[in-house]
Order: sequence, then C-alpha cells, then structure tokens
Amino acid sequence: MTDDETLDRQLREAMPYIDDEGFTARVMASLPAARREPRWLRAMILLGLGILGSGVAYLISGGGRFIREGMIQLSDFPIWLLLVFAFGCGLVVGAFAVIAAVRKTPEVRDVARLRF
Amino acid sequence: MELTDADLVARVLANDDQHAFGELVRRHQSSVRGLLRQLTRTDIALADDLAQEAFLRAYKKLASFRGEARFSTWLYRIAYNCFREDARKRKELVGVDEEQLQAERDPQTVDAGLRHDLMHALSLLPLNERTAVVLCCQNGFSHDEAARVLEIPLGTVKTNVLRGREKLKRTLAAWGPN
Repeated sequence: MTDDETLDRQLREAMPYIDDEGFTARVMASLPAARREPRWLRAMILLGLGILGSGVAYLISGGGRFIREGMIQLSDFPIWLLLVFAFGCGLVVGAFAVIAAVRKTPEVRDVARLRF
Repeated sequence: MELTDADLVARVLANDDQHAFGELVRRHQSSVRGLLRQLTRTDIALADDLAQEAFLRAYKKLASFRGEARFSTWLYRIAYNCFREDARKRKELVGVDEEQLQAERDPQTVDAGLRHDLMHALSLLPLNERTAVVLCCQNGFSHDEAARVLEIPLGTVKTNVLRGREKLKRTLAAWGPN
C-alpha cells in the first residue's frame, strides 16, 4: 500500500504545468480600463480643494476673527494647562496613527496577533 | 530580486499597475487552471473560462485582500466560488453523473501509466474529497488553508483528505503496483 508522502508526491508529479498559451493575455484583455489620472493629480486636486475651502472659510468668518479671539483666550490660560492640552492632543493623534498603521500593514498586524 | 505576491498586489492597489497584475496571473494561472480542471473533471474549456472569471473577480476585489492569508489561498477561494456558482447553475452539486462514472470505471478506458491512472482515480472521487485532495495533497495547502478556501470546518477538510487518500490508495493498489 502506498504511504501518504509517496501518494502526495505522485499526485504533485502527476499534475502537469499548464502552459500559458495566451491565457494571461485573455485575462488582461478582459480587465476594466486602468484609472487614467495619475495619483499626483488626485493629490493636487485634493490639496487645491483644501486650500480653496480654507480661503472661503477665512473670508466667511470675517477675516479669521475667530482664530484671533481663540488665540487671545488661549494666552490667558496657565502655561502648564497648555502643555497638558498639547500633550493630550499628541497622544490622541499618535494613537490614531498607530491604529491606522496596524490596520494597513499586514506584517505589523501579524506580529500583533502572535501569542507567546 | 523577484517581487513577492504581496509586493505585486501592493503595486496594483497603489498605482492600478496592470502589468503587476499580469505577473500575478502568469504566476498562478497553471495552478488555478489545474485546480479547476480537476473540479470540472478535465473540461478544459469550462475550466479556463472559470479561471478567467476568477482572475477578473480577483482584480476587481483586490482591495479586499488584506494579506491575512497567502495570495494563492485567497485566489483559490475565488476560483472555487466561481466553480461552485457555475456548478449550481449546472446542477452538478446535486450528484455525480452515475453513467459517466460507470464509463470511467471501465478498465478498458483507463490510460496506461501512473500519471494517467492517478489523475483518473482522482477524477472518480466525490467532489468534496477531490477538492480537498487537490488542495492539500497536490497543491501543498495546509488543512487550515484548505478550510478557508472551501469555507468548511477544519475537521471536514481532514476527513475528506483522509477518505480521498484512502480511496486513491485502494484504487491504485487494484490497478497494480505503480
């Protein structure tokens, strides 16, 4: 009786390599057209819209009056409170950045899943 | 240095690089078409149509590939789903064609040589056992990976592989010591 290893090896050897013979070309021809616009163009459009939106917001808000008032209010706060506020903001942003990095990077995600 | 599958996938996703996807197709076309030929009982035209559909689906759904499993595992799952949908349409999953099976069992139709005998014996297995054997024994997938591809419990995969192997051994033993 054949053992498992021999059977598996025979099965692998019995499976011939199938020559491409135009298969890849047929698949490629059936793919939907690639995106035309390059990534830098999309980035520029987003940046332009961001600047435009900021400009409109600045004008509507009376020349950035609310920013000046906000800065004046902040300057009244004690320095230690401002430091704590800045540190807290940094922590929150950092936490979001780490979560985003873990979600986007398979290697990091796999390491995070390891059980010791 | 040759790019890994993950590198190629990243290129496709980042730049919509169809050349990178073409390389993925070239790398995996033989195994995917081979799997589908086994599943369709060597209906080459149907298997190739299903393989083309599988690669097209893979391209469209590539963003959903999160790299948790090997690219080939993910791709095989899509290929298997293509086969299942088609088989459902053709009512193939309801049961095997007994008349065809009987003709295949006729010793006079058996090709000479171990390779042909093996492939023939493989084609006689029930679909669930055949699929499990092709994935695990022929393509080197782990039981866990095969369970992911087939979306069935791990224990079922193990049972199907075990039964398939035993049947193959019995069939081959009856045909002679090759």
